[in-house]
Amino acid sequence: MTNQNTASAAKGKSSLNKLGGQKFIVILVIIGLFLLFSVMSPNFRKYTTLVSMLDYSYYIILMAIGVTFPLITGGVDLSIGTGLICYSLVGGYLISFHDFPVIAGILVTVLFGVVIGTINGTLVALMDIPPFLVTLCTCMITRGLGSIIVGGFGITWPNAIAPGGWFRKIFKLTIPTDGKPRLLPIGIIWVVLLVLVMSFVLNHTRIGRYTISIGSNKEAARLSGVNVKAYHVLAYTISGLFAGLAAVAYSAVFSTVQPGSGAGFELEAIGGAIIGGVSASGGVGSVTGSMLGVFVICLLKTGLPFIGLQANWQQIITGLVLIGAVLVDILKKKRG
Amino acid sequence: MKKKLLAVVLGASMVVAMPASAFAAEGEGEVKANGDYNFEIIVKSYQSSYWQAAVKGIDQAKEACGVTANSNGPNAESDIADQVNMLNDAINKKPDGIGLAACDQEAVLDSLQAAKDAGIPVVLFDSGVADAPEGSVYSTIATDNYGAGETAAENLYAALKDKIAAAEAPVRIGEVNQEATSESITSRGLGFIDKFAELATADGHTVAVTGNEYYVNNAKDKGDEASANIIIDVAVPAQTTVELCATEASNILNKEDTIGIFGSNQVAAEGILTANGNLGVLGSDPESTILAAGFDAGSTIKAAVADGTMFGAVTQSPLAMGIKTVEVLTQIANGEEVTDVPTEGYWYNAENMEDDSIAPNLYD
Repeated sequence: MTNQNTASAAKGKSSLNKLGGQKFIVILVIIGLFLLFSVMSPNFRKYTTLVSMLDYSYYIILMAIGVTFPLITGGVDLSIGTGLICYSLVGGYLISFHDFPVIAGILVTVLFGVVIGTINGTLVALMDIPPFLVTLCTCMITRGLGSIIVGGFGITWPNAIAPGGWFRKIFKLTIPTDGKPRLLPIGIIWVVLLVLVMSFVLNHTRIGRYTISIGSNKEAARLSGVNVKAYHVLAYTISGLFAGLAAVAYSAVFSTVQPGSGAGFELEAIGGAIIGGVSASGGVGSVTGSMLGVFVICLLKTGLPFIGLQANWQQIITGLVLIGAVLVDILKKKRG
Repeated sequence: MKKKLLAVVLGASMVVAMPASAFAAEGEGEVKANGDYNFEIIVKSYQSSYWQAAVKGIDQAKEACGVTANSNGPNAESDIADQVNMLNDAINKKPDGIGLAACDQEAVLDSLQAAKDAGIPVVLFDSGVADAPEGSVYSTIATDNYGAGETAAENLYAALKDKIAAAEAPVRIGEVNQEATSESITSRGLGFIDKFAELATADGHTVAVTGNEYYVNNAKDKGDEASANIIIDVAVPAQTTVELCATEASNILNKEDTIGIFGSNQVAAEGILTANGNLGVLGSDPESTILAAGFDAGSTIKAAVADGTMFGAVTQSPLAMGIKTVEVLTQIANGEEVTDVPTEGYWYNAENMEDDSIAPNLYD
């Protein structure tokens, strides 16, 4: 029993080492894209562009941190995008229309994510329904639910200067000067801290070890006597928790949350995770890789318009980059 | 003395009538019922100030036309089934006409057929129903989106006219449209481009349209970028999110020669404001800031217009749609021929947004 246990853990470790290579490539891609866009567009080099890019990346990185866990189990979570909007709508609605203090709204937002994540996990792990189906259903449900709860209208969380607008400062400080105010995108500090914490959870705790072993060899994990199902549920709960945190980040960066939106956000997070080395078939992946992958997507999203590429070309290029990342994954597997 | 009193009464009634007449297309007050009519009117929901404004218009017009009208609506725009039930109940009451702002184009088709079979004329407002049974809908009253885009162009051009005339190098006007597919957005976008170009050309300037292929190719005159002194730069994001609209807007706002920008719906206008959150280049002084024109309302855009960050915006007029709906229903009941009625978009800025004629249209 111990043998199998260490064997699966060792397998997890060796696949983690393999990831180092892909991360290195992704960092090179990030540097390459950054240089390319900077050379081609003087405006891309501006500090404000960097701040905007970070502003718009927080919620995707947070979703990517969470979705890395179900992806590594060999599953997926498609509900995080519309879920994010649903949680944010409900939290904002309680603050704006029911006089909830902002902190309570934030807690409801995050808890809602945890609940939906746990429902996903329960259906996947205990009922054995394919994750794709389960989360596609909760994706649709959260999309409808958010609109119904708020009555179909856009919700605005308190703005930066309103009482209760303090939560926006978690992600960006604006320091007044004589001229234009100085912007400090401090959100990146918290996001990176969360990435480090969840990296630790994935690599050095039982939660992470079993998440990886579910993806690489579920049967071995089960035979080793571990309550696999509980850890399987937990992977989706983590995904839901981070979708909830992403909802808070989204509400803090953008002014209005529109019901019915959010579909497609999950693909950027999942795409980022895959670019960052999470295997599309499970068992392999890292949280730092997912963050780096999201940076690639965000760089493309910001840089391509700045060099004058029109919408359709932006999508084609983003798609090509994703295919490239999946190919790297497959080639690596074939080699080794 | 009698004359004086009459003058006071007339004056007072003119003041009272002004907000309504400010919105009516033509013939306000001329529509009078020839009989004892009762209409059923169903809005999309009762929650937002947008629909409350429509109901206010309905109430104003039923007084003026001398009819009775009962307004109803579901709790939320997403309560499609509730609205269909209300519509069916309305048909069963056998009114002289029904006004409907349909939540869902498909869901109301059977009921429209039922209304037609029962001989009850239907007037749609705010949104049309593309596949409505032939002969069931007598008139559709909705915003003239092309005209609303033109309204934005007229106001932005008027504010920038002197700056353009004094400019030594070509200047750039941005436009952010959330997509290039829906009728309402593309009409607004093209209305803005065509009107801005028309006004500028009349003043002896040359205009070129660049950016998104759809808008460039469908503009009346795309001009020549190399020789033009005004460049209209049209951006469409890869997806309809505020974030991508903001990125497109940042790109335009960062260009040295940009002097004005238009966002053709709430998402695009908020995208421009989001981009400005980090850039801080927008304002209401054409000499030192970029002027932004928005579309629709919502608390974010309203706040930006009120503090001058956004120069102004175009709002649709639910109040006018409500008034027109009752008038057209009355005309149908009178046996008059009616046609579709486009309603205007109205320009609002920090000065006039509190006016009685504008404020009811500015929903949160």
